[in-house]
Amino acid sequence: MPRKRRGFEEPPRHTVASLVERLVDELKSDRQSGQPTIEEEFPTGKLRVNVLWDQWERVPLEDRTATILRAYELAEGREYRDRIALASGLTVPEAHAAGMLPYQVITAVRKGDPVTVDQCRKALIDEGASVLFGPDSPQLRFSTEDEAEAARKRLAERLPNSEPVWVVTKEVGMVEDLAQR
Amino acid sequence: MTLKAAYFALLGLAEEDEITWPRHIQPAINRGRSVPLSIEWRKQGAGHNVRAWAELLVGVRALAAATTFGTAFAAQVQGCGQRLGQLWRETLRYHKNRAYLYEVRQVREVAGWLLVNADDL
Repeated sequence: MPRKRRGFEEPPRHTVASLVERLVDELKSDRQSGQPTIEEEFPTGKLRVNVLWDQWERVPLEDRTATILRAYELAEGREYRDRIALASGLTVPEAHAAGMLPYQVITAVRKGDPVTVDQCRKALIDEGASVLFGPDSPQLRFSTEDEAEAARKRLAERLPNSEPVWVVTKEVGMVEDLAQR
Repeated sequence: MTLKAAYFALLGLAEEDEITWPRHIQPAINRGRSVPLSIEWRKQGAGHNVRAWAELLVGVRALAAATTFGTAFAAQVQGCGQRLGQLWRETLRYHKNRAYLYEVRQVREVAGWLLVNADDL
């Protein structure tokens, strides 16, 4: 009988071509605003990459990872891509549900303010707010207070005279969560 | 279980060592959620989150040069966790849902791969 020996081969991964292209553009442009790609460097030089992007909605997790790796390979080269130990793609609501984005920039528009709710909504979306929570309630969320504060400043520049309406808030976790820490 | 066993073996626990929620499981979850691993690890069913355990194993191994998985192997471990995570929930045991055959096949393949490679995890 035939005796077949098979070594380990990396199985082919399915990437989403249109998202690869867009992610390559995002990686190369290195914009200050928009939904973020977070890179954490380990002492070994390996990288942990989390791409928070609403475009992942309806894309399976494996395909998200493959798409990220392919985009890095195209944008940064094979060597850089091989430094990535762990790559994950999450939508903003997924990251929020896992407690990864506790800071939020919200609007507090009052009567008489020189900007409208619609203008603020548009500015939030331009700044990278997720509309997956609902198209009428874009949410601009961050993992750190510094990031949220930087976004608040950019929003104030983006929309003249709007400085007082932008507020940074932080979600308070449940007592149960604190007890587990 | 294979993934959890691999993680705790990496930490130096022996096969007979008792693993408890407060001393082992919860600290592992907290470690995964924290920087630099930043793993999406929801509270509900946290102990059963196969995808997160696979990512924890890959991530923690990558923290030291001597234990880092090869690139392809790491991708395969993470991929197994992702596929299992999408097709299996611990709550399925309380329901009468029946999986499609192609789903059963996918899970069997992934679980088989993890078992065959358990010694290398």
